[in-house]
Amino acid sequence: MTDINLDDLTHLQAINKKLTSGYHISEQDTLMWQELDQHIDAYRALFNALGHDLQHDSRGYYYFGSDESTPNMGKISRAIALTIYILIEHYANTGKDPMRALFDEVNDLELMQTLVQINKHLFDQLEIFSGSDLRKDVYLRMVRLGLAREVENGFMLQAPIYRYIDALMEVNEETYLGDDE
Amino acid sequence: MIPAKKLLNTLTEHWGVLELLFKRFKMADFSLKDVQNAIKQKQPSWSNERIYKETNRLLNQDIIIPLAKSSQLEINRAIADFATFLLQEEHLGLAQEINVLVDDLARLGNRLAKAGEIEDYDELRRFSRIMDDRVRKIMKLFSHNENAILNIVEQAKANNAVQSLQKRYQAVIEAFDEYIEPMLEMVDIRGDFHACFNTIETQISLQIEQIDRLGKSYQDKRMLEQLRTRILEMHLVGRESLRKSADMLMPLREELRRNNLITRQAAKVLGLVRKNGVDNMLSAVQPNFVSDSQRFSLGQQRHIIAYMAGLVDFEHDEYELPEHQDVPAYQSPNIPDYNDVKSQFKKRFKKATKKSQPLLSFLDESYPDLDADEMLFLYQKLISDGDLEISQSQEKVKIKIAQQHFSLYPFNSSPADDKQATEQ
Repeated sequence: MTDINLDDLTHLQAINKKLTSGYHISEQDTLMWQELDQHIDAYRALFNALGHDLQHDSRGYYYFGSDESTPNMGKISRAIALTIYILIEHYANTGKDPMRALFDEVNDLELMQTLVQINKHLFDQLEIFSGSDLRKDVYLRMVRLGLAREVENGFMLQAPIYRYIDALMEVNEETYLGDDE
Repeated sequence: MIPAKKLLNTLTEHWGVLELLFKRFKMADFSLKDVQNAIKQKQPSWSNERIYKETNRLLNQDIIIPLAKSSQLEINRAIADFATFLLQEEHLGLAQEINVLVDDLARLGNRLAKAGEIEDYDELRRFSRIMDDRVRKIMKLFSHNENAILNIVEQAKANNAVQSLQKRYQAVIEAFDEYIEPMLEMVDIRGDFHACFNTIETQISLQIEQIDRLGKSYQDKRMLEQLRTRILEMHLVGRESLRKSADMLMPLREELRRNNLITRQAAKVLGLVRKNGVDNMLSAVQPNFVSDSQRFSLGQQRHIIAYMAGLVDFEHDEYELPEHQDVPAYQSPNIPDYNDVKSQFKKRFKKATKKSQPLLSFLDESYPDLDADEMLFLYQKLISDGDLEISQSQEKVKIKIAQQHFSLYPFNSSPADDKQATEQ
């Protein structure tokens, strides 16, 4: 049993607030990240007892694992997934190294417009009809979840995107949920 | 023949120019004009005449030589090799090169053994010198290739996201397939390389033994010993260098494989999504997030589980009855026995029945040690006793007993009706 000294956990309140809202704490959130890094055992024990599942990914982020999403959250997550997969394809098509470009390039409004234009058919299903829709419905939400950060003229994706890349590798024909004709 | 010192002077003087030419043209040819431009760039203050003279100097000393049947020029091969060595701009050699040298080494080893057999010490010396030279060459190649691989790795890692994956990693893949893998195969403990060195080593050891035994040509012994050490060292260095090279290249190769995998998978998944719809395809795999609305409800399964887990550990603090000896001994209040009080009261008021006396003042006088509450206890005992004749006064009276003030309708000692006291 880990002894938890609440006095040591100076950022508990901020961390708890962020994590319970689905935020991913990555290395860019220096203060909270360091705090978690130093007292990981205490935090894990504490959150476990509260029924949260604190996950640490070695690629540099902490989050609360969850087995289910609210319908709304699920929709957002699918939109983010689609955007990221389309981004990977887009970078690959333009001859860039997708994994590098994904984290190094700024996603500006122009890029968003291009993405939506090229994949209109797909984004229509998620009621995203323009680049600014994409910005509002996907990128701003990614910022709120700690998957991206806002920079001068766009967004930069952050390490927690790896959750989607892991998910990508899991997809195959069997995961298809549709009813067969 | 150009004196070496003169050549070296020219080289030091024009090293900047040569470096520039070398880096810009990378072994390709260039024109006289290019050379002059390069000099001009390095020495902007020089006059055209001076530049012309210096160019001629480079040409005359064979540092820059004309290509056959052309007005184009190139850097002298020997100088270029020297420059690659100095600049560490090495290009990866072939595994074959090393292989050929090793084969040659094996051949020379056999000749050496033969020369030893017929006791031809001049030959022995000659072969051992040639072998020594070969070994040095191999070592040079190892370090050269190691540097070349370092360059390749650096280039591949250089922040150049615009370049396509295929291009960026081409050199890595080539290096791996054409150098590292055959080389690893070669230096493998069961490979030819190893066997060959074993043979050479035994051959040389045998010669050394022979020399020891016969006592002839003793000065050659040292040379042979040195050769043997050098071969062993080469073997070690080679293995080390290959291991290092492979370690540098491996992550990049993995990265490439993974990147390709991700790109392919993304294309495949998007294809499936186009066919089957976003929700159908992605619902099963999408990452889930904790959301705000869940924060305020305990409805989530894991919350309940945590709660139940908490319950399992829950224990009542068991209620412990006090042990007999733990109970503090009963301390009777400082009250005199009621019966004594009663008899004293009767005794006292038998005589003075004519005049009613306040009960409390009687108590106060008789038991001055009692506290107020103890006094009141006796008082209420007395007034509720049916045997005594007391009466209640009709006026409210303030009485001081045991330093406390009370205002009440006091009972007095007189034959009267029993009434309840109203205490305040």
